[in-house]
Amino acid sequence: MNELLLQGLVNGIVVGLIYALIGVSLNVIFGVLRVVNFAHGEFIVLGAYGAYFAQAWLGLSPLLAMPLIFVVFGMMGYGLYFVLVKRLARSNDPEHASLLVMFGLSLVLGALMLLAFEADARSLNFTLDPPFLMFGNIILPTTKLLGLAVAVVVTGALAFFLYRTLPGKALRAIIMNRDAIQIVGVDLNHLSALTFGLGLGLAGITGILVSMIFPSFSPFIGQDYTLIGFIVIVLGGLGHPIGAVAGGILFGLAEQTAMVFFSGTVAMLLGFVLLIAVILIRPAGLFGVQNSR
Amino acid sequence: MHGVELSMENISVAYNGDITVLKEVALRAKPGEVTGIIGPNGAGKSTVLKTIFGLLSTKTGAITMGGRDITNLKAFQRALEGVSFVPQNRSAFAGLSVYDNLLLGCWPFRKDKARIERAIDGIFERFPILKEKRSTLAGSMSGGQQRFLEIARALVTEPKVILLDEPTAMIAPKISKDIYALTRDLADQGATIILVDQNVRQCATISDRLYILELGRNKAEGTREDFATDGQLKEMVAEWMNYKIDV
Repeated sequence: MNELLLQGLVNGIVVGLIYALIGVSLNVIFGVLRVVNFAHGEFIVLGAYGAYFAQAWLGLSPLLAMPLIFVVFGMMGYGLYFVLVKRLARSNDPEHASLLVMFGLSLVLGALMLLAFEADARSLNFTLDPPFLMFGNIILPTTKLLGLAVAVVVTGALAFFLYRTLPGKALRAIIMNRDAIQIVGVDLNHLSALTFGLGLGLAGITGILVSMIFPSFSPFIGQDYTLIGFIVIVLGGLGHPIGAVAGGILFGLAEQTAMVFFSGTVAMLLGFVLLIAVILIRPAGLFGVQNSR
Repeated sequence: MHGVELSMENISVAYNGDITVLKEVALRAKPGEVTGIIGPNGAGKSTVLKTIFGLLSTKTGAITMGGRDITNLKAFQRALEGVSFVPQNRSAFAGLSVYDNLLLGCWPFRKDKARIERAIDGIFERFPILKEKRSTLAGSMSGGQQRFLEIARALVTEPKVILLDEPTAMIAPKISKDIYALTRDLADQGATIILVDQNVRQCATISDRLYILELGRNKAEGTREDFATDGQLKEMVAEWMNYKIDV
C-alpha cells in the first residue's frame, strides 16, 4: 500500500506540474488582461496536434518542436490580441464579455479541429530507451520524467522572467495596478499583446507535454483542460502566476493519490471537493490577494 | 531639471463622446515655475492633467511641449517625451519593492543600465528614506512614504514637465509640508510643474501662476501677485475658496 501511495504521489507531482503550466498560462492572461480565456484548452490541444504534425511532416521530435510551437503560438497570440482580445480587455466588463466570446471561440476551434483532424484520438510516436526507470518498487515511465524535467525548466524560466526581468516586473505591475502602468511609459497595448502571446505560447508547449505524458489526445478534450486550468487558478489564487504552480501540484497530488484508492471518476470528484474546500476556507485561493484594479 | 514650456490651447474633452468635461480650456506652464490649478469640485482640474498626460483624448485644441505638438501622442509616448504624472489615486505597485518601483520608472531608458544606476542613485540621494527601504514592498509602507515613492518614480526620468494631482490628499500634515517644499524646490531647479490641489492656501503659496477652473472652463488666471493685488481676483478666490491670497 505504501509503495502504491508513493507511486501516486510521484504521479501527482508529474501531472500536477503539467496542470500548473495550464494554470500559469491561463492566470497570466487573466491577471494582465482580465480576459477569461475559455478557449485555452483548445489551444493546448492545438499544441499537441502541432507536435504530432511537426513529427509526421518535419521529423521533429516533440522536444525540438517545443521552441517552434512556442514561437508560432506566441505570434498567433500577439496577432489575436489585436483582432479580438483588445476589445474584450477594454470593455466595461472584460470578465463576462470574454467568457462568452472565448467560449464561442472554444466551440469554433473544437469544430475546426474535428473537421481538420477528424474525431480519432491520436498519440505521439515518442518513446525513450529505457522506457521505464525503477526507483525501489516505484516504476516511472521515462517520458513522464522527461515531461517533469521540461515542466520544471519552463516554470523556472517563466518565474525568472516574471520576477527577475524588467518586462516581467512590468507584467506583474499590470496585474497589481493596470491604470498606473502607463504612467511609467509602458505601452500597455504592446505589453498586453505580448502577454497574450506568452500565454498561448505556453499553452502550445503544455499541449506537447500533454501529448507526451497522457496516452492520447483528440479535438474533444480541450474543455477538460480549460476546466482543469480554472480549478488550478482558483486553488492558487486568481491572477497570481506562481500561485497556479501550487494549485496545480495540489490538484495533481489530490487526483493521483486518490486514484490509488478509488476509481478515476471518484478521484476527479475528490479534486473538486478539494476545490470547494479551498473556496469555502480561503475564497481568494492559496496565494490570492485583493486586487487594486 | 530642464523644464520646457507646456501650453494647452482651446482644449475640449468629452467622456463617452458627448459628456463634455473640458470646454476650450487654455493653460501655459513655464519652466522654473509652479503652475497651480484650483477650483471647486467637478471643475475639471484632474481632467486637465489627465488630458495633458494623454489618458483622455481631446475633441478640439492642441497641446504643445517645448513648441512641439504632442496632442496626438499616446500616454506612454508622452512619458517618453518627458512628461511625468503623479495621479491622485495610489499608483505605487504594492507588490513590488521600492527599488523595483523605481526601476519601472526607468522604463523609457530601460536598455541603458548605467543611466538606470545613476538615476536611482540620484533618487536615493534625494530621498534617503527610500534608500533605507529599497527592498521593502511598496504596499507595506505608510501612505506618505508611498506618495514620496510615487513622486520619486516620476522624477527618476528627469522629466521636462511634472504633473501633480492632489499630491497631499490623505497625507499627514508634516509630510504634506515636505511635499510642498519639494515641489517648490523642483521648480526652483528649473522644472515645469503643474499642480492641482484642493488646498488653495498651500497651492496659492507655492504657485507662481494660478488658473481657476469652473465647470470645465477657464474662469480666471494670473500670477500669484495678480491674485494678491487685483481686487476682483482676490474677491473671487475669497468667495469660492474661502481664502484670501496675500503676497
